[in-house]
Amino acid sequence: MKKRLYLELENCIGCRSCLAACTQCGGHEERNRNYVYDVNPLVNRQTMPLMCLHCENPACARSCPAQAIQIHESGAVLSALVEKCIGCQNCTIACPYGIPKFDTEQNLMYKCDLCIDRTKDGIPPMCASVCPSNTLQWLTDEEIENKKKQFNLDNGKWVTSMPYLEGETNVKVNLPGILQGITKLY
Amino acid sequence: MQAKASVNQKTGNTLNNAFASHFAKSMFLSVTALAILSFIGTRMFTHVDLNLYGYMVGTIVFLGGFFYRFIAWGERPPTKIILKKGLKLLFRKSTPKTSVEHLATYNFIWNRGIYRWTQHVLIGWGCILSCFVTFPLVFGWMYFTMDDNGHYNIIALGMQVMTVPADGIIANLSYNALNITAVMVIAGVCMALYRRLKNMQARAEQKFLYDFMPLYMLLLVSITGLALTFMNIFLHGAGQPAMSLIHQWSVIITLIYLPFGKLAHIPFRPMSVLARNYREHYAEQAMKECKVCGDQYVSSEQSQDVVDVLGVNDIQFKTKEGHHLAEMCLPCRRKYRIAQFSGFPTHEVKVKEANQNAKG
Ligand code: HEM
Ligand code: SF4
Ligand code: SF4
Repeated sequence: MKKRLYLELENCIGCRSCLAACTQCGGHEERNRNYVYDVNPLVNRQTMPLMCLHCENPACARSCPAQAIQIHESGAVLSALVEKCIGCQNCTIACPYGIPKFDTEQNLMYKCDLCIDRTKDGIPPMCASVCPSNTLQWLTDEEIENKKKQFNLDNGKWVTSMPYLEGETNVKVNLPGILQGITKLY
Repeated sequence: MQAKASVNQKTGNTLNNAFASHFAKSMFLSVTALAILSFIGTRMFTHVDLNLYGYMVGTIVFLGGFFYRFIAWGERPPTKIILKKGLKLLFRKSTPKTSVEHLATYNFIWNRGIYRWTQHVLIGWGCILSCFVTFPLVFGWMYFTMDDNGHYNIIALGMQVMTVPADGIIANLSYNALNITAVMVIAGVCMALYRRLKNMQARAEQKFLYDFMPLYMLLLVSITGLALTFMNIFLHGAGQPAMSLIHQWSVIITLIYLPFGKLAHIPFRPMSVLARNYREHYAEQAMKECKVCGDQYVSSEQSQDVVDVLGVNDIQFKTKEGHHLAEMCLPCRRKYRIAQFSGFPTHEVKVKEANQNAKG
């Protein structure tokens, strides 16, 4: 059963477990590849994670002159192949969300690979495995569909990926409502 | 869409028009060059060594694959830009230093880990040195003669470059050059294989054909090469013809495979020098200022090139403020996205982004 990473952004409590877990994934060499932001840092404590959304038409890979960014058959957009990346940093400029990180010393880009060693076998990625607040979940399309029903729709309460993103993505993003003053139904 | 036009534009001069494609032209020129070289080398084909016939066919098939891949790759818009602009900037003061660091001493791999560096030096230099020894010998650019007094002359391109005692260090090093490089490659490949066993890293990225096959082929080439020496010395040449065929076969398969798998990085990799020159040169010209915070985060040229390349791929990324997402520095671009989700303009709050590194 194909599962996807699904984000309910406003659940985030800012614990940064996902960053810590990311460092522990095989092949990540103890560096995290995701972000957690304060939404309005001087006023309140709301945070939101920002992950690679694994675009269906990934700008990072399109802009790479070395074809170092491969797209896995599961749709995951992989980190740069270590022997191919020539260190031009085009991908960091191209990504609409500013995701790829670059190590100048190693002359190498690295980015979220959706813990491909895990997710290709249906095991959730590290971040979703540890998230204590259900901000990051690993769900089937059917479950995501149910969420959609649950969060009830015609009135724009289901705020999801597309209008807020630049293109279709394999990761689905949802903001069921708190920030918009709508009470959320768990 | 200036970029679109220039990408599709064919440079029209008469030589190019004579061929159906770049592929046909490159292939024709190379095969012709090879034929001429062989003609001269074999004294009008009177000395064709049929044992080496396989290498010839292998080389030609290799060239076909190589041009096919390289040309398809060079036509991709981002590749084309770096190649074109990078080649124009080839003669920068820093080029020799960058080239040595990127292509010979691999400083950046050292920074990835000493193990990985050692492994690559063994494999990479093992292969490069083998080629330096093999090609000149095969094409007769280098050979040895022996004087009566027990001294060897090393003759390169018809000039005597060195005279050394036949049992001295240099002489021994040169008789055994290929054995030494074979051991280097075997050690390096074993390190690579061990790393895969020990550190289960990124197995999914490692399809058999892409990842393991080149390692096994390098291993096969080196082991059969060493076996040839072994048979010569210890078995008085027994089994040599068969082993020689296996060795030849493994070299040919490796050559043919080279443009398609992991080893394709060997011919492509010098582009990292072009990329570095491109970044350094245009950074000196003018830096792009982030549309939000004003930080200089990349050269204006590169920012525009990326916008153009994305345009060719029909990716626009226009913000409602009227600029392109690539015109924002990375932290601002991330905050801008958070702002799109929350409706609050996070990127406009003048606070440096919180530490995003889990190491603290
Ligand atoms: C032009 C110079 C070369 C450059 C700049 C270069 C660069 C690289 C880089 C950056 C890697 C990744 C290493 C890592 O991060 O662990 C790599 C891997 C590799 N290179 Fe090279 N390389 C060069 C020449 C060669 C040559 C001549 C060979 C010989 C066949 C070779 C064989 C390999 C192999 C087999 C790997 C894979 C190692 C593994 O998967 O663990 N390279 N190369
Ligand atoms: S979000 Fe950025 S890094 Fe991730 S796939 Fe899309 S373009 Fe690439
Ligand atoms: S930095 Fe590496 S992965 Fe990114 S575009 Fe350049 S070559 Fe590709």
